[in-house]
Amino acid sequence: MTATLLTVLLLVAPLRPAAADGQWVLDQSTPTYHISHPLHQSEGISHEARGKGVCHAGQCDFLIAVPVKSFDSGDTNRDLHMLQVTRGAEFPMVTVRTRLPEAVLGSGTIHAVLEIQFAGQTAQYKEVVFQLTAHGNQIRLTGTVPATLSDFKIDPPSLLAIPVKNEMPVRVDMTWHSL
Amino acid sequence: MPQPAGITLSGAITDASRAAVPNAKISVKNVATGQVTETQTSPAGTYSIANLTPGEYEISVAADGFDTKVAKVRLAEAGQQALDLALTAAAGTAAPSLADLGFTPAQAQGSAQEQARLDKRSHMLKIHQRLGLITAAPLVATLITSSGAGGRNSSASGRELHAALGATTAGLYLTTASFAIFAPKVPSVKTRGPIRLHKALAWIHGPGMIITPILGGLAFEQRSNGQKVHGIAQAHAAAAWVTATAYGLAILSVSIKF
Repeated sequence: MTATLLTVLLLVAPLRPAAADGQWVLDQSTPTYHISHPLHQSEGISHEARGKGVCHAGQCDFLIAVPVKSFDSGDTNRDLHMLQVTRGAEFPMVTVRTRLPEAVLGSGTIHAVLEIQFAGQTAQYKEVVFQLTAHGNQIRLTGTVPATLSDFKIDPPSLLAIPVKNEMPVRVDMTWHSL
Repeated sequence: MPQPAGITLSGAITDASRAAVPNAKISVKNVATGQVTETQTSPAGTYSIANLTPGEYEISVAADGFDTKVAKVRLAEAGQQALDLALTAAAGTAAPSLADLGFTPAQAQGSAQEQARLDKRSHMLKIHQRLGLITAAPLVATLITSSGAGGRNSSASGRELHAALGATTAGLYLTTASFAIFAPKVPSVKTRGPIRLHKALAWIHGPGMIITPILGGLAFEQRSNGQKVHGIAQAHAAAAWVTATAYGLAILSVSIKF
């Protein structure tokens, strides 16, 4: 009986899709972009990021997505203008994908390769440094993505005929928990 | 003998959550001739293949992490034909998708119409901003020339110059205002931040830009008739200064962070 069961299980197992070894869920994240202008320093923050990580065979695939329109700079006009220049109505999501070895998800510094889809463009950032701290089944990642407007072919918006700087660093502070 | 006009096949390649799939390889094979045309999707997940002839085609879409999708399509003798395809994740692929994050297809799906509305709004507000700055020049000049239009040192030529500059200011102002007033509105957006002050100040300089020239016209007529400015026309200078101050503050409110 046991041998029959084992045989059935062995026959059925390869037909099933590969099951995840572990999963991570984003508890909270506050991605914050920073834009510089000679007259202004503006920041836009989102509280609507969602993320999930799926680990398999020692590798974890993470996906984080944030609605573009959820970034709040404290000024409606600036936010609507941001939405326009980033083509946020046409491409409503910023998505960040990365693959990390499961072994690095302890405390320390990690170097991630990020693939970011934003404004209808895809940009890859290599060696983005994140500080990682672990507390029980939670990890906290902090770091800055060195994004620029030109990476996503965004025309720099201008105020009083002066354009903003090309640099658009995005500060990230995320807390994940494992399932 | 003229060649028949080619057919352009275009569309979007998405994943199960309707997110764009960039760099997907697309092969279009003419079933009758066996001729294959290849292309890749753009970063926005779109593709376009031109100069196809009418007939049956087999379209194959391949992308990393997805099962290859094959579809058949018959191209008629029309100029444009659209074909959107959704890819499914390859078996065993563990990478999460937008659907896994709980975003609905509607949230992930863009709207070209909404983008067009935003584009038009921004275009009109840029003109509003530039014209607003240009208007400040004759406004300042009008204030400077006010000393030659009224008081003891006034002259007919001073009044005429002042009136001409004032009229130019009012004309430019109304044009500037119209670009903000008629810019498309974005529904369900509550105004917050310095733009509120900018809009609130318009309730001062807007009526002021109408009242001030009217009072100025009255004062001009009285002075031209050799009379001392009297009655309601006496409020012209005060109305002008309040209007100009509100206008200057409106520019500063969106220029300087405070």
